[in-house]
Formats: sequence, C-alpha cells, structure tokens
Amino acid sequence: MAAVIGSPRMRKFESALVYIALTVLVLIFLFPVVWVFGLSLKTRDQVFASPPIYLWWPTFQNYADVLTRSDFMSAFINTMIVSTCAVALSLGIGAPAAYAFARFRFKGGSILFFALLVMRMLPPIAVLVPMYLLFNKLGLATTRLSVVLAYTTFSLPLVVWIMRGYFEDLPVELEESAWIDGASRFAAFRYIIVPLARPGLVAASILTLQLAWNDFLFSAVLTNNATQTLPVMMAAFNAGDSGMDWGGLTASGMLVTLPVILFSFVAQRHLVAGLSSGAVKG
Amino acid sequence: MREGKHLERMKAWHASRPSIERFLDRHFVHTAVLPTFLVMVCVFGLPLLFSFYLSFTGWGLDQPLFAGRFVGLANYDDLLTNSVFTKAIYITLGYTAATVAAQMVLGLGIALLLNVDLPGMRIFRTALIVPMLMTPIVGALCWKLLLDPSHGVVNQWIGDSVVWLGRPDTAIYAIWVVGVWQNTTYVTLILLAGLRSLPSEPLEAAAIDGANRLQAFWLVTLPMLRPYILVALLLRTIFEFRAFDNVYAMTGGGPANSTMVLSMYTYLVTFVQFDFSIGAAAAWLMLLMSLVLCVVFILVIRRREAL
Repeated sequence: MAAVIGSPRMRKFESALVYIALTVLVLIFLFPVVWVFGLSLKTRDQVFASPPIYLWWPTFQNYADVLTRSDFMSAFINTMIVSTCAVALSLGIGAPAAYAFARFRFKGGSILFFALLVMRMLPPIAVLVPMYLLFNKLGLATTRLSVVLAYTTFSLPLVVWIMRGYFEDLPVELEESAWIDGASRFAAFRYIIVPLARPGLVAASILTLQLAWNDFLFSAVLTNNATQTLPVMMAAFNAGDSGMDWGGLTASGMLVTLPVILFSFVAQRHLVAGLSSGAVKG
Repeated sequence: MREGKHLERMKAWHASRPSIERFLDRHFVHTAVLPTFLVMVCVFGLPLLFSFYLSFTGWGLDQPLFAGRFVGLANYDDLLTNSVFTKAIYITLGYTAATVAAQMVLGLGIALLLNVDLPGMRIFRTALIVPMLMTPIVGALCWKLLLDPSHGVVNQWIGDSVVWLGRPDTAIYAIWVVGVWQNTTYVTLILLAGLRSLPSEPLEAAAIDGANRLQAFWLVTLPMLRPYILVALLLRTIFEFRAFDNVYAMTGGGPANSTMVLSMYTYLVTFVQFDFSIGAAAAWLMLLMSLVLCVVFILVIRRREAL
C-alpha cells in the first residue's frame, strides 16, 4: 500500500488531488452509461429534443414496453438457459481436469495444458468458421446446444487455469488423509477438495457467465430468431426499422447489461482474484 | 497383529465397492482429463484441421465435406493480393497497438491513483470497472447513440453535425475511444493486484537513501511491477487483435473499409458472402498471426517462472 508521505498539510493537499483526479475519471468513464440510462427514462420527444434536456420527470414507459415484447422475453430466457448450461458444463468438465493438472504429473499433461493455453489465445472468429461447419453438418446449427458447446469450449481454458491455481494452494495433506481413511480419489475430490475450492468455483463461474452472457459473435452465427440471445437481439434491434426507437433501444440495452453488472459487483472480490490469478499465475 | 487385521478390513472394504468406482480410482487422472480432452479435440481440434484442409480447396456449403476441388495456395494468394485484406492487416495492427498503448498508460495511472491508501477507494474502483463489465455490444451501442450525427449529445454539445462513424478519417478513432473506454480498467485491475503484492521494503530503502517520489517510482516500483505489466500488455494485445463487437455494432467495417479489422473481414467473407474456402484461409492467417503473439506470451511466462 502506498501511503501518502509528507507533512500533514502536504498530505491533505495530495489526498485532495487524488480524489479530484479519480472523480474526473469516474465522470468520464460513467458518462456514456449514465447518459444512455437517462435516455431510457425519456419520452420520444425528450430523447430527440435539441438542446438536450438535463432535468425531467422520468418515465418508465420504455421499460414497460420492452418487458412486454415477446422477442425480448424469449431472448432473455435463451440467454439464461445458455449461460447457466455453459457455466455448469464448463465447471463440470474443467474442474476435474484442473485438479488433475494441479495434483498429478501424467504423460501428455503438460502438452494438454499448453494446448489449452493456446486455445485461449486464438481469435474466436478463426475458430468459429470451422465450428460453424461442424455444427451445420451435425444439424446442430441454430440450436441452443451449439452455443452452449461453443461457450464451454471457450471458457474451459479459463476455468482450468483459475481452478488449477486454487487447487494448488490447498494443502495436499487434506486428500492424503482422506485417501488413507479409504476414500477413493474421486470421493476425496468431490467431498474434500471441491467444497474448499468454492471461492475459485465462484470466480470461474462469474467469468464463464460473463463470457456467455456478453458474447455476440458466436450467438450471431450459431442461432436463429427463436434461439438468439440478448446481445444478438440488441444488434438486430439497432439495425432494424426500430433503430430510431431510442427509448426502446436504450431501455433494452440497460436490461441486457444490468444482470451481469450486478452479479459481478456482488462477487467483485472473486472477480479481481479470478482475473489476476488467471492472468498472473500462468 | 492389529495392523494385519486393519489391512484385511481395508481389503474387504475395497472389494465390497462397485468395480466401476475402483476402475475410476485406478484411472482417476485420465478420467478427470478425458472430458476436457474430448471437447478440445472434437469442438476445437478437428474443425480447425478441417478448415486448414478447406483453405486449400474451393468448397461450397452445399457440397459433401471432402468434395472440394484442390486449388493449392490459390485462396491464400487471393487474400494476400486483395487490397482490402492487406489493408485490414494494417488497420488491425495499428488499432491494436494504439488501443493497447492507451490502455496501458491510462490503466497504470488509474492503478497508481487507486493504490493510494485513502477511504472510499473501493467506490471509485467499483465505478471505474462498469464499462469493462458492460455487455460489449451494449457499450458500443451507447457510444453509437452519443455520436449520432443529428441527435447525439456529442454533436449537440459542439454545435455541429459531424458524421463521426460515417467518415473514413474519424470512424476508426471513434472505435479506438470505445476500446480504450471499455478495457482500460482491465489493465488497472491486473496492475493494482501487482502493486498490492509488492513488498514495501525496497520503497522504504529507497526513501531512506534519499530517492524522491519520481525516482522511487521509475527505479523501484516500475521494475518490480514488470511481470504484471508484461502480462497485462500481452493479454490486451491478444484481446484487441480479435476486436469485433465494437466494429460490428458501430460501423460494420465501413466507411470505405476504413474500420475493416481482420475479424470483421473474416466474418463478412464467411458468413455474409458464404465463401468458406477464402474464410478458412483468412481464419488461418489470423491464427498464425495470433500464434506468434501466443508463443511470445508463453515464452515470457516460462522465463519468469524459471527466474
């Protein structure tokens, strides 16, 4: 922690400077979001008023309109289903593998881990081209399963990376005593290790959820009108005839992004831990 | 004697367990890794290999999988002599360099501010990561509305009607601003974690030796922060190289291809023009470029672990 050093008066002055700088930064960083949130609370006339209106009596009509639209609700449900499945699947597949990487040296292990690392680095579009062909030939294109598989594949490296770090930090004596007591390796993993690694699981879930909820590219290619997720619906909304319906556009934008922001805030501690451990521990 | 009895009990217990569990126990490591391995091979490896094959053929979506006509390097040749594609390489590299540079400088600055030990820092940090947490496509659409020629607040403020996203000379800068706005705090979070983990003794020693604050920062803090800076730099480079959402939402690659990044180009060729062979070749060229980045990244990490 860098404490402010110097005489008390100097310290006060510097603290004030730090606060001012941060306040300016927050104003700049939040302005686009706050302004658009404001737009979503305006009537059509207020949205297009020139000069812009800064004070008005907010209306929630735009939100009411969006929430009664059937395409918004179906996209919302799709996003929920797809994100939940992707989180469950990638943790279910990735956590045991991460445990194996953390605790056991085995043939081909380092090559596999290296390959996972490379997977994380590859641009999604380059992988999406062949993935689309595969799903198309299997008849999976435009199903929810195809996007779930895509998100699972893309978040696996992240999950394995983060969870390996958490597993390595747990003392090996825990399982050893369980093994001696006759627990199978799987039982020791399931009943001793997994409960202790819960913070890691939370971090990995959040990052996977973010990836699945926020993704546009995969969903744009791999879904149709019935199975599309919220970001795709947003982009279509923007490009379509309703592009001038700023009230609806901004209200649905806020509704799309709010859940993932709230969820990340609640678990901010884990988010930072996950991000940095995933990034730094390597 | 007692030990013998215990051993017998263990054996009996082991024998009583279902054989599938014993099998799992003996092959635990492989069972644990198998699903990950399968997903990697089936959803990742095989399709990638197939697209490699595809990039040397002329193939349409209606043909059977291996019915494409072999054309050698013609697809690659087409791409590399196509001025839109070669320009896309330059635009992507330039955009990546400019965005990452701004994110690093600004991100480090914010991390240093947030690292000062004052009350309320958590609130500032929380507020600053909002753009990073937002759904990228929604963030880009927010900016599109702000920059709208006739009703956007930016033009209303400057009293002009600049078509920010419709002019070849301004569109790429608009996308740059959004990229910096979105992911500067990604760098901040990594560097902040780094700053928090640094030992305080070297700084105290520097202060005793009479170093002023600037010297302490340049000569002590920054060198100690180096590994974190490298990680942030490389991760951001990898992520900006694949930039897609903002371009798609704001300009779609236009105007006059001035924001045509490689991801956008590959997307258009493959999923709008449905030319999968050229798309596969473009995808593989992108893969090769990012593999170079990736190798650098792993070499850096390896070297750091060895130190």
